[in-house]
Amino acid sequence: MTPVDRRLLAHVNWPLLGLTLILFGVGVLNLYSASGFRLEEGFALNPYYRKQMIWGLLGLGVMILFMVFNYRHIKIMAWPLFVLTIGLLIAVPFWGKTIGGAQRWLSLGFFNLQPSEVAKISVLFLAARILSGKPEKMGMWELIGILVVGFIPAGLIILQPDLGSGMNLLLLLGGIILYRGLKPNVWKVLIVVVPVVMWLFYSYGLKEYQQQRIKTFLNPGEFSQGAGYQIMQSKIAIGSGGLWGKGFLAGTQSQLRFLPERHTDFAVAVFGEEWGFVGSITLLSLFCLFLYSVFATARDAKDRFGSFLAAGVFFYFFWQILINMGMVLGLMPVVGIPLPFLSYGGSNAVVNFCLIGLVLNVSMRRYVFKE
Amino acid sequence: MSLLHDPEAQQPPRSGLLLLQVLIVALFFSLGLRFWYLQVHKVEEFTAKARGNQLRRVLIRADRGLIRDRHGLLLAENKPAYALTLVREDCEDLDATLSQVSQWTGRPLEEIAERFEQGRAKAKPFEAMVLVDDIPFDLLAVIESNSVFWPGLEIDVRPRREYPYRELLAHVLGYVSVADEEDMDNDPGLSSGDLVGKAGVELVFENRLRGTKGLRQLEVDVSGRILREEIVEEPQAGEHLTLAIDAELQAHAMAQLEGQAGAVVVMEPFSGQVLALVTQPSYDNNMFTTGLSQEQWASLRDDPRHPLQNRVIQSVYPPGSVWKVLMTACGLSSGLLQYSDRYHCPGSYRVGRRVFRCWRSGGHGTVDLMDGLVHSCDVYFYKLGEKLDVDRISEYAFASGFGAPTGIDLPHENGGLVPTREWKERVKGEPWQGGDTLNLSIGQGFTLVNPLQVARFLSALVNGGEILKPNILADAEREVLGELNLDNEDREFILQAMEDTVTRGTARRIYRPDARIGGKTGTAQVIRIGERRERMEDMPYEHRDHAWLASWGIKDDQAYVVVVMVEHGGHGSSGAGPVVKAMYDYLFPLD
Repeated sequence: MTPVDRRLLAHVNWPLLGLTLILFGVGVLNLYSASGFRLEEGFALNPYYRKQMIWGLLGLGVMILFMVFNYRHIKIMAWPLFVLTIGLLIAVPFWGKTIGGAQRWLSLGFFNLQPSEVAKISVLFLAARILSGKPEKMGMWELIGILVVGFIPAGLIILQPDLGSGMNLLLLLGGIILYRGLKPNVWKVLIVVVPVVMWLFYSYGLKEYQQQRIKTFLNPGEFSQGAGYQIMQSKIAIGSGGLWGKGFLAGTQSQLRFLPERHTDFAVAVFGEEWGFVGSITLLSLFCLFLYSVFATARDAKDRFGSFLAAGVFFYFFWQILINMGMVLGLMPVVGIPLPFLSYGGSNAVVNFCLIGLVLNVSMRRYVFKE
Repeated sequence: MSLLHDPEAQQPPRSGLLLLQVLIVALFFSLGLRFWYLQVHKVEEFTAKARGNQLRRVLIRADRGLIRDRHGLLLAENKPAYALTLVREDCEDLDATLSQVSQWTGRPLEEIAERFEQGRAKAKPFEAMVLVDDIPFDLLAVIESNSVFWPGLEIDVRPRREYPYRELLAHVLGYVSVADEEDMDNDPGLSSGDLVGKAGVELVFENRLRGTKGLRQLEVDVSGRILREEIVEEPQAGEHLTLAIDAELQAHAMAQLEGQAGAVVVMEPFSGQVLALVTQPSYDNNMFTTGLSQEQWASLRDDPRHPLQNRVIQSVYPPGSVWKVLMTACGLSSGLLQYSDRYHCPGSYRVGRRVFRCWRSGGHGTVDLMDGLVHSCDVYFYKLGEKLDVDRISEYAFASGFGAPTGIDLPHENGGLVPTREWKERVKGEPWQGGDTLNLSIGQGFTLVNPLQVARFLSALVNGGEILKPNILADAEREVLGELNLDNEDREFILQAMEDTVTRGTARRIYRPDARIGGKTGTAQVIRIGERRERMEDMPYEHRDHAWLASWGIKDDQAYVVVVMVEHGGHGSSGAGPVVKAMYDYLFPLD
């Protein structure tokens, strides 16, 4: 490993690092509240917040690892890592562990690896490598090529079945493609083809319960149980928070457990209930500033590869924030996508820190060539 | 310059950078606007919904007031009963739960499902709906031990009304039953499983007996577990009522009429309080509180002796010769009748081609007013009636409280009938005739009175002329509704004549030396029998005359009016006399 240059340390993107730590802190604090529930006498806690803190410390360590080496080496690693990922994904149906009805994990002895999380990183690496190759907008063949590369892992993940992660992967890829830009004639074709593909996917690609979620979203009054109930309780939680919120640990929707999945997908509803509109807007602003820092890295990167890496990370976070908060606020169907930093989840937290480490990596090396 | 040709040194795509900035701004404003919409614009709606999740309001039943007799004897009380209820919001599988209830109780599933559907329309959220009212004790243990498997099912202890004296006061107390759909429609204060008065005092004083429900606020979590509860409003128990009725006296009267159909009223003439209000045959009003089966109801309704009928106020009869007291008062007050007026009674009286008979076929000879009343001479009163004429008689009867309900606080009183010329024209389509006046004069024909009206009229004679509201509650205010049009001398004369009737006239049977007793017998014809009267024993029961005896008794500082009416009892003296006598034996005990 190359020793870390003093000058590099001076150029660490402190705003991005600070925002990351603040968001992580807010997330743990909120998890503390979301872990609790009222009893007749007093209050009981699940240990989620403590586990999340341990995962976060682990994540910080991994983040530093992702910062120190020069990101240009990733170019060489991209293809081998991709092939390894495909291998892991193929291994899952044969040797995978089944948790909660879905076969998504590979047991590595000391911890359970989720290959779909690894796939996010390797697709990001490969897409950044391939797409940063040329400066001009993409033509049709180039688009088809990158889509084939992306659909192999995405398809394997969706078959697990893990629709959320698969979609996440495709959205990440789509984001990087949009960042590069498409030629006008490609746009014309997509306008015709995309709706047809989406309809085919809805009709044949989705399981019945997944279709049901979309129907529920389009017509929530008809389904008072299940997903419609979750959204209703989530809106009640946020709406009843009002301007200033009910106060830390004082949210009734959360503490009396009317809010479902409150420590995972609906964690931000707990926050909205207890901290109100003021808190929600503050949190939203923090997320936007965080995204802006990533954007600034993509803008100021010394080379196109670094810029594409940062843009990929931007989309990775952007989609999750949009879809999760949109769902919790009743603007989107219920899809199991967590909110970065707020939702409980160990490997997710580690991946988040890895990717931020990567952005910090790109960011601190932005001046090397210009000097 | 060379940097520009190095592809790796190219600036990142401009459109891409623009896209990222647009996305950040769009994210902030779309989600921010949504937060504003939910948390600022709609805050009241969602706050209310959150409270609705968290807080449940449960009504607290108020105890129904007890009913006692004038000496404090408990006549209507509350006993605990165990009802099986369902909170629909907590129930996971409704069909399975209802059929389990049916299996436990042995009642048909349709009946339980119907009860549930009825309650469902009215029930407020999280209100417990009664499925089965009265769970026997052994079944209670089975249900309790299985209740964890059937969320939503709860055993609810709620009071059941019990009337320990059963038949004795069924018509006075009435009964309560579980409120049906119609009751709940008409009265928003009622909810599923509540008791509501349906007859008698329970109905009339429903508002005083019911009390006001309290309100309990519960804080619950998503599984319905109660975390905290507080009483927002204490329930207010219903008022206890004390009746004017003397239950022991009532029981005594009841026993005298055993096996017969009839009525007894005992009233205090000065206070207007009703001490006994007896009707035979009676029924057990407890049957109604636990829910009457179709068969039970049909047998009560179709019983030819009409046990549900309160004969004191709901049945009307021709007053017979008792009416002659009113005729005398009417005559004296009009000035057309003098004490010394004498008429000859040959045993019959001819009007046109019709012959009207006196009850004594041999006639009474020449009689004055006193003897006419004491011996109940029909011919004397035919002649008096002709002299007074129908208009004067009916006007006086109305003014004396006949032809309209007495206003006692019991439901469905029948006010009887005082015929007039207009009434006959209107109802019968025929003009009033002389014969009608003669019939009216001796209390036969169209005239109909209820026993309570007679008792009140006698009370007015005794108390100095005040027509009182007969009161069923001990603490009810004495209410003077009218004044008899009769001066004191004439009133004393009539009382004296009634006393003579007891000492030497038709009511000798009730004479006792230790008290001042006055009375007047009456025999009300049920059917017109033509010229000749048959002996009672030879007639079928339903053709026999009704027997009346209206009386008052005064001893020391006690004064009572006792009116007895025995349906198909034959002659007033023999049919009703023994009952009246037994009542005075009780009221004025010999030491």
